[in-house]
Amino acid sequence: MKRMHRAGFLALVGTSALAGCAGIATNLTENESFHRVLELPERLDLALLGGGQPLAREYPESAISRKFRQNGFEPPSSPDYIAWSRKAWHGYRLFVTGLVDSPKSYDLDTLRRSFPRIAQVTRHDCVEGWSVIGKWTGALLRDVLADCSPRSQARYVVFHCMDEDGAGEAYYESLDMRQAAHPQAVLAYELNDKPIPIENGAPIRLKVPTQLGYKSAKYVQRIEVVAGLGGMLGNGGYWEDQGYEWFAGI
Amino acid sequence: MKQKIYRHPIVVRLTHWASALALFVLAMSGMQIFNAHPALYASDASNFQSPVLSIRGSAEMDAPEGWVQLGSHRLYTTHVLGYGPDGQGGETVRAFPSWATIPAYQDLADGRRWHLFFAWVFVICALAYAKWAFDLRPSLADLRALPAALKAHLLPWRVKPRAHLNPMQKLTYFGVVFIVAPIIILSGLALGPSVDSWAPWLPALFGGRQFARIWHFGAMIAFMTFFVIHIAMVVLTGFWNNLRSMITGWFVVERDETAAAKEPS
Repeated sequence: MKRMHRAGFLALVGTSALAGCAGIATNLTENESFHRVLELPERLDLALLGGGQPLAREYPESAISRKFRQNGFEPPSSPDYIAWSRKAWHGYRLFVTGLVDSPKSYDLDTLRRSFPRIAQVTRHDCVEGWSVIGKWTGALLRDVLADCSPRSQARYVVFHCMDEDGAGEAYYESLDMRQAAHPQAVLAYELNDKPIPIENGAPIRLKVPTQLGYKSAKYVQRIEVVAGLGGMLGNGGYWEDQGYEWFAGI
Repeated sequence: MKQKIYRHPIVVRLTHWASALALFVLAMSGMQIFNAHPALYASDASNFQSPVLSIRGSAEMDAPEGWVQLGSHRLYTTHVLGYGPDGQGGETVRAFPSWATIPAYQDLADGRRWHLFFAWVFVICALAYAKWAFDLRPSLADLRALPAALKAHLLPWRVKPRAHLNPMQKLTYFGVVFIVAPIIILSGLALGPSVDSWAPWLPALFGGRQFARIWHFGAMIAFMTFFVIHIAMVVLTGFWNNLRSMITGWFVVERDETAAAKEPS
């Protein structure tokens, strides 16, 4: 009995001490200046990993996951989106706007015919911790951008999406020009050799295999080339506005 | 005969406390991150149907349950793991309870901020300490003296403070510094998709990206086990003397008379 009390006492002391640490850390997290310090490593990580264009590993087709797990918001529910999805995406167009000499829009057929088909079997790492492997086929982002001739002030590429969170806030993402020029950054129209299923981002999903899954924006409608983020563009992405890293390389 | 010696130089003391703090924050924020997808897979991608380990729960109104699933074995851990405190006064389905995570409530974004900050603190400590780490490599004499030291540690309160690390300490610290710490750092790096594009051999080294999570998690458990034994030994073998030596550097030892006799005077 005495032994039990002692063990229970030690467990209580231990958990209370941990809870105290968790409490202090939680308060610190909510302190704005402390939070800015916590954000510092992101810049260091970007400086160390963001140069160069190393390739994500490409897998044999036998490694493809049976099901490409769905995550994120509910699919778009606008009347336009629903109508397009029922007509094999006739009527849908992908727009390229902003700091480009020739703003353009493309239907799916044009995207398929005008640009080389790039296929990659790569791993998709979700920020939550799980991974799936899928085959993504589409046009290279850099080819599409080059077709619209970005101006010299162009620094970032913003992806405006059709899906919204419960409060009606639209999804968006962004890459810098170097990331956008990566030889595996694809505007995909196929997943595993079939048109992308709705839950995985139909009709066009950006795929960036060198960063966490939330950078690979689904349901892309408009690509905007800009000189800087901030202002209306917040931290450069929906999840970035919720505190996640803009550079999602780790 | 008692004698005061300067045992731990300032860099060793500083990196000791900084990495101890870092490890605590890393473990607690790591459990926060784990809570976002509380399952481990022994493969490159996730086989969602067959995790090696998962911590799950259900919030049935009258009978909430939490459990740890290891293969086909289920261990019920209701109110601690799987179903437990949510950090806001109630209980909910979550792998690790609010008192063990940073932040206390469920918040993957801030858990990652803490984790990726203190990962750097830990790595910087490792680099600063590297020069002294080599003092931990065991000699042949250490290995020979190991059985006797092991026996002596069965009664830890009788272990006499000595100027040099005894073989048990040396081997334990060697294992932590040269085996557990490298595994935890490298397997953590292997989880970053951008790191993997620079070093594709890194996840492969651990059997794949998801498998690297097992190594990362397992190394954390090893660190926690070490921590418990370490604290027990610190307390049992002369708490204040041990603690002072890691704060001021000064340690009171009993001179080994037989060894002293062998030294030329």
